[in-house]
Amino acid sequence: MNALRQTWIVFEKELRDGRRDRRSIMSVLLVAALMPTLFGAMFTVMANRAKDADQIKLPVVGAENAPAFVDWLQQQSGVTVAPAPADPEEAVRSRKEDVVLIIDKDFSKDLARAVPAPVKLVSDSTRDSARRKVERVRTLVTAYSSQLAALRLIARGVAPALAQSVKIEDVEVSSAQERLAERLNILTLLLVIAAATGGMQVAIDTTAGERERGSLEPLLLNPVPRIVLAAGKWLAAAVFACSSVLFSLLLTVNVLRRVPWQDLGIRFRVSDADLMSLLALVLPLAFLLSAVVIFASTFARSFKEAQGYMGMLILLPLVPGVVSTLYPMANRPWLAPVPVFGQYALAADVLGGKAPGVALYILAGASALGCGIVLMALTSRLLSREAIIFGR
Amino acid sequence: MIEIRGLRKKFGSVEAVRDVSFTANDGTVVGLLGPNGAGKTTTLRMLSGLMIPDAGTIRVDNVDVLADPVGVQKHMGFLPDSRGLYPRLTPIEHIEYFGQLHGIDGGTLRARATNLMAQLDLNGVANRRVAGFSHGERTKVALARALIHQPRNVILDEPTNGLDVMSTRSVREMIRRLRQEGCCVLFSSHIMQEVSALCDRIVVIAQGVVTADGTPAELRKLTGQDNLEDAFVALSGLEVEVTS
Repeated sequence: MNALRQTWIVFEKELRDGRRDRRSIMSVLLVAALMPTLFGAMFTVMANRAKDADQIKLPVVGAENAPAFVDWLQQQSGVTVAPAPADPEEAVRSRKEDVVLIIDKDFSKDLARAVPAPVKLVSDSTRDSARRKVERVRTLVTAYSSQLAALRLIARGVAPALAQSVKIEDVEVSSAQERLAERLNILTLLLVIAAATGGMQVAIDTTAGERERGSLEPLLLNPVPRIVLAAGKWLAAAVFACSSVLFSLLLTVNVLRRVPWQDLGIRFRVSDADLMSLLALVLPLAFLLSAVVIFASTFARSFKEAQGYMGMLILLPLVPGVVSTLYPMANRPWLAPVPVFGQYALAADVLGGKAPGVALYILAGASALGCGIVLMALTSRLLSREAIIFGR
Repeated sequence: MIEIRGLRKKFGSVEAVRDVSFTANDGTVVGLLGPNGAGKTTTLRMLSGLMIPDAGTIRVDNVDVLADPVGVQKHMGFLPDSRGLYPRLTPIEHIEYFGQLHGIDGGTLRARATNLMAQLDLNGVANRRVAGFSHGERTKVALARALIHQPRNVILDEPTNGLDVMSTRSVREMIRRLRQEGCCVLFSSHIMQEVSALCDRIVVIAQGVVTADGTPAELRKLTGQDNLEDAFVALSGLEVEVTS
């Protein structure tokens, strides 16, 4: 009988068995639902903070000491001067205020005498959420100071440019899309997690689970080549992994399109073509990661033992992901044939708006599938070992 | 027909099977009788092709198991020591899965599965998932799926072990039916009554060696014991161990 037909029979059985397993379904849905939600929440918080920094309410102590300065602050866009709390330091410490500006009572007098007029900026540097706001206030104060200084120089007949020996001009080489891509690399990480976890339950159940139940020996008594059994199980696990990737991509994109990106100064523009490109990269990886789990869990006598291995295995796809956030992998097409790394690298290019050529997708996909096939060949050899068939 | 010659198998320093030879002919029921740990399961596992013997030959219908295990499996129904079922599948799904792997499908598969379930009194639970099945029901499902391809050679490892009276009865009826159909049936047991009720021939195995091979009457004559159980005790060397 045709080996393909037998593979299909094994695949169909494992798929049916997996669909009836609540844990398998949960592992597909949970990761797919949980991660995008977290992801969306994270970006929304980031956007809100950015917005907070633009629209600031600045409590000023001693506003009466520097009416001109306070008027100037009021005129700056998005700045509202607010009445000061009784105890500024306590207010910041207790997080009632993010930042408080204290104007010394001698401010006007010192200005008039042309000695540095003291102001105090009360903030808490351990608070990440207030950082942008504090920076904004600091920039405002510095800007006011330079403006006054320039006026003083002009009044004394000196060109203000004399006081500025070096001028920095920022040249930004990354496109807005690339800056977005840097943020969106986490999307790739998320899809890879979905690819790794979605099929895990089925992969373990069909290998270590099969041994634990004692159903491996009866199964092997059928006149079916071992590679056919391994392939059928692999495909079933991969179907679960791929569904998990699809679900999580759809959900993530829907969530991301609702994040107020304009507040981050970014235009979110990930086209459907980009999404298809990501799928073309991650789906073959889902096959490979399922194959890794199948191979590893064949060594395990029980479900629990296999789960013990998974803690280590999950690091395999995650470490390159974390590395990619530290050392961006964009513009490294030669990574394409290296499983996992290649997917991260090409995905970074897709999200950066520089779509890699079709050949690279094929190279990355073929390499992942090829490694998967090698792992299945190894698994089928394991299935001939007496210690694995009979060891329970 | 099953022919086993000079079978040996060692696990580390333990010689589980030292010298096992016997023949089981078509249309007969042969009982492999021996105490726990005598090497029965190991012998059967080598017969199934899943375990490779250290020495010896196994031929089933003149096909060498070592040379062509898949060819032998096509005509062999094997109820292994571990009955291992899939808790989320129903009996009919178990039977049909194995049937399909043997290349049977469509109406033939359905008809055979229904027939087997009727013979083994499984109709009441045919569409219920096997999680929570009794030991007897599990054994019967495992037996049915091992027989779906109508094998000429049937090997059963302690088929009635732990079964209640009703289940034991339907398994015994199945064994008799297989003999009538001309199958070669080999089953192992450590229970005397079981063997004497069913077997045409008995192969007694103890400490990995065949100590006797013959009809129940021949065994009684050989040992000089009227009672088959006494004959068994004498042949398996148990009494010697106890008294010495």
